[in-house]
Amino acid sequence: MAAAVLDRFSPQALRVLALFVVLVLIVLFFGSQIDNYYSARLFNRVSTSVAIMAILATGQALVVLTRNIDLSVGSIVGFTAFAVGDVLSTYPGLHPLLAVALAVAIGAGFGAFNGVLVAYARIPAIIVTLGTLALFRSLLVEYSDAKSIITANLPEWILQLPRANIVSFGDLDIRITFFAAVIVVITVHLALTWLRTGRKFYAVGSNPEAAVMAGINSTRIVFLAFVLCGAFAGLAGFFFLARFGNITVVAGLGFELKSVAAVVVGGINIFGGSGTVLGALLGAILVDLIDTSLVRWPLVSEFWREAVLGFLILGAVAIDAVLMRRLLALRHARMKDRRDKSVAQDGATA
Amino acid sequence: MSDAILELLGISKFFAMTAALSDVSIALRPGEIHGIVGENGAGKSTLIKIMTGVHQPTSGQIRIDDVPVQLKGTRDAQERGIAAIYQEPMVFPDLDVAENIFISHNKLGEVVRWREMYAEADRLIARLGVSLEVDRAASGLTLAGQQTVEIARALALDVKVLIMDEPTASLSAHEVDQLLRIARALKAEGVAVVYISHRLEEVVEIADRVTVLRDGQHVSTRDIGDVTTERMIAEMVGRDAGEFFAREKSHATDKVALSIEGLTVDGAFADVTFDVHAGEVVCLAGLVGARRTDVALSIFGVVPAESGTIAINGKAVAITNPKQAMELGIAYVSEDRRKLGLAMPMSIVANTTLATLEQFLSRSGLVNRRRERDVAESFRRRLNIRTPNVNTSVGTLSGGNQQKVMLSKWLNAEPSIMIFDEPTRGIDVGAKAEVHEIIHELAASGVAVLVISSDLPEVLSLADRIIVMREGRQMGIYDGAEATQENVMQLATGQELTAEPA
Amino acid sequence: MSVDASDLLAKSAPGRSSWTAALISWEGLLLAVLIAIIAVNANLSDAYLTVTNQINLFQLSIEKIIVALIMTLIIINGEIDLSVASMMGLAACAFGWLFQAGFPTVAAIPVVLLVGAAGGYLNAFFITRMGLPSLVVTLATLIGFRGLARVLVEDRGITDFPAWFDNLGQQGLVGPLPLAMIIFVVLLAFFIVVLHFSGFGRQVFVIGNNKDVAAYSGVDVARVKAILFTASGLISALAGLLYAARVGAVRGDVALGFELDIITIVLLGGISIFGGRGSLYGALLSILIVLNLRNGMALVNVTGHIQTGVVGILLIVSVLAPNMRESLGAAWSNWRGRRGSR
Repeated sequence: MAAAVLDRFSPQALRVLALFVVLVLIVLFFGSQIDNYYSARLFNRVSTSVAIMAILATGQALVVLTRNIDLSVGSIVGFTAFAVGDVLSTYPGLHPLLAVALAVAIGAGFGAFNGVLVAYARIPAIIVTLGTLALFRSLLVEYSDAKSIITANLPEWILQLPRANIVSFGDLDIRITFFAAVIVVITVHLALTWLRTGRKFYAVGSNPEAAVMAGINSTRIVFLAFVLCGAFAGLAGFFFLARFGNITVVAGLGFELKSVAAVVVGGINIFGGSGTVLGALLGAILVDLIDTSLVRWPLVSEFWREAVLGFLILGAVAIDAVLMRRLLALRHARMKDRRDKSVAQDGATA
Repeated sequence: MSDAILELLGISKFFAMTAALSDVSIALRPGEIHGIVGENGAGKSTLIKIMTGVHQPTSGQIRIDDVPVQLKGTRDAQERGIAAIYQEPMVFPDLDVAENIFISHNKLGEVVRWREMYAEADRLIARLGVSLEVDRAASGLTLAGQQTVEIARALALDVKVLIMDEPTASLSAHEVDQLLRIARALKAEGVAVVYISHRLEEVVEIADRVTVLRDGQHVSTRDIGDVTTERMIAEMVGRDAGEFFAREKSHATDKVALSIEGLTVDGAFADVTFDVHAGEVVCLAGLVGARRTDVALSIFGVVPAESGTIAINGKAVAITNPKQAMELGIAYVSEDRRKLGLAMPMSIVANTTLATLEQFLSRSGLVNRRRERDVAESFRRRLNIRTPNVNTSVGTLSGGNQQKVMLSKWLNAEPSIMIFDEPTRGIDVGAKAEVHEIIHELAASGVAVLVISSDLPEVLSLADRIIVMREGRQMGIYDGAEATQENVMQLATGQELTAEPA
Repeated sequence: MSVDASDLLAKSAPGRSSWTAALISWEGLLLAVLIAIIAVNANLSDAYLTVTNQINLFQLSIEKIIVALIMTLIIINGEIDLSVASMMGLAACAFGWLFQAGFPTVAAIPVVLLVGAAGGYLNAFFITRMGLPSLVVTLATLIGFRGLARVLVEDRGITDFPAWFDNLGQQGLVGPLPLAMIIFVVLLAFFIVVLHFSGFGRQVFVIGNNKDVAAYSGVDVARVKAILFTASGLISALAGLLYAARVGAVRGDVALGFELDIITIVLLGGISIFGGRGSLYGALLSILIVLNLRNGMALVNVTGHIQTGVVGILLIVSVLAPNMRESLGAAWSNWRGRRGSR
């Protein structure tokens, strides 16, 4: 039975499934530890805070799939949040959709800068984005001119946005930001699954050399990945602005590594080619859920959050590696069985 | 003269100052299998790269259906119906078989229709007379399976010219048959198949016409009825084939240096049993895929055996890693210089002393560079390594000279048992003779030598005894002086299972 | 034989010059940049060339450049250690915690160094035994070590270390040279010998070039990596202690984000991110460039974030410049090719 499951699902699907099981187990665990854990408030809190990281992780996933990495997303979030906040402070009448479009455009611009350097100038992504991590942040500092964005100057609608609901089931609110994040993830997932261009992201990361030989324009795909990642970071920046209102030059600091962590926990291979953005979403939720729950766990101080998180990630990837190796060995053995049988049959018929 | 689908006219290709191809003309007709043979360095791979648009010819013309064209890249070539598959297939391990086939198929539109794609993939695979599960990830496929995927990919693109570059080099006998069947199926559909192989028997078996290249020049193109293997060899090397069969006298002693009994690694090989005497040259013959390298790796401790025994000088040993094997006096010269043999960007000196660094360390762990240099220099002279100096990085040397550096590395360890894995693959005739000379010298000095080689004439000229393997099984042992190409080949291909051990 | 040799020399000379010469000219280029920066700085301010300023310039980033030394070896080995800054933080906080718990300061120092080595070995374990990529492992321990640091000191700041401890970090030990600078110089010399003159260093390079070739030549790859990562943890912990002494206080966010600065310095020194190539001489030049550049910018009142941005640009340009011609040429012909085919 277990073997049948192993045989039927792809490793990627298995990962997402396993992640989901882990998520449920963690909820059950904290449910037994914390009074009133199963409340709408928990869902609302996690869903609100996860929206930003889920979008960021989706963009990061696109880049990682192509065997690259984008360490500049935190700086892009910071710059976009500040810039859009600045524009909204100056022109409070700006249409919300235009504000979103502006955020996405700024992010995509930064992403394109990364993309040109990685895809066309062929500089390793880790070097490019390490450089632009610093560069974009210093652009923000220059732009901010030692000022901050403060809530008081922002239009009312954006401050209400994080609490605005699409729909409520009793106390359970589906917030617009969370809804938007889920829409983004699903859209990207569908695009990666059903669009030829989407499949090429996997192809390029899976075997870059073969991609060239097969006539796939890897340069364009890698460039596109960085532009999209930047655009999503811009969108995340917009949500960051909405959520916090007060924006300083350190906004989004450290997000680059958190987004990579969510992607890795979500089962996307750091060397490209495999994984799904649904996994990345679950990874982001898992990270956030543990974060939120530990704060309320009476047994440990809230200062344990990061430590637990770090070693959990380590454990997760280690177990994943061991299980995947086992799985592969198992499949090899089964395939060999089958082959031997078919050879035997060949012999019999010949 | 317009029956050709693809025609190369007076193609020359220069890299820097050296000519890889000069004035080569070939015409490919639809529905023919066109063999191209030649030694390494004859210009075969350059020719392929020009046909697939990877390289642009320095001069000459390419014509498709009598129209002069310029192939601007692999993609352009594909769109014009020219595709190639290689010895090491280019698949995407994370994608499933069907996707691998259609990934670069742009006419299908932007939305992937999975169900249709699977059906179409099934149809294509069936057309090749093979069975593969099209919804499985390609990472689980055998080499032959991966090649099938590549051929199906080319078919899906309505290929008119399919180039197969050494497609059978890594296949088992069973899989080779299957590939030849596929090639014939393609031919029947009117595809021009270019078949490049070192295995001349295969070429004779399948090709309609054969072109011989030598030193970047076109030597001949003949109908298959007009050629023989001997004549092809003569044209390839520019002299008679007979010269290869000179044998030296044996230096074998009575002392058993390496003794292997019932050696088994699950999934690779089983129950391998043989001895190598000091001063003896034993060859492991067989087709690629016979798992000979796995036996060597097991002796060298890379993949320790699961059962069976290894004895050195009569003493049973358990070898679990290469370092331990080296301490027991075993050296293994890998077949894969690039991946396993040499640190390409590093100097000749550093590579020469790589396996014996301890010899060059002071008590405080510092490297004595002068001594290192002297040793590398002495090997340069002894093995006639052609290089301006020993600080040159090995990546810039020719294949034969790289091979000699790799030999230096292991000779310096002064092993008592030396395993050579395809020691002359990919090097020119001159260097080949020099490598054989080294092997003879080693044997004369009392080293037990085990040579894995797929080159039968080489095996016959080197070996005191020949062990033939096939798909992980030891098929028999021949005395080197008595063996012939035919009887070794029979065992290697499994045509005769009852062989008497020597 | 002599005829033979000269003949061959002519044939393969171009191949030979390609990478040795590139390396020589790379370090030459760094040196030229450094001299230019020093010249400009000296013109900008009289204060620049004073001993106080020169020492100060090192002191401000001394912990980073100490860690950059071992990071150079790790990157040449083909790996990366993202957890170094978190280990600096953990070490500093562990020291503060022990101090607060009444542990004798002198005894706390070796304990903290041991913690560092243990943390480094933890990384090594997951990388060599489980075969996980170092990027992933050290990303996880980056979060984990930082978390432990926060567990130890929570949101407190710990100060009032013994005067001798603070003095070690803040005052000159030999003449005007503080302890940390002496440690830097000693470690620099030590690592140059290890990397460029010892058998171990040779193994580091070979593994960085090609792990399998190393393993097939009898090199114990796992051992070399384990030593490097353990050393990285140890040296990071030392750097964390030096930070605590220099600042005279620890908090949970000690050295937060330093890992990226450290890696930037190393890569700017011409060390290949893919391993196998680079030198400590390049790393040293890069350290001097970054420190002097930042110092010069500080002299004309450019803020820290902008300085970081300039270093970031420098990093990209440094990698871009050598293959610019080639890349642009390829992109150009690619573009023309595609345009032509339409």
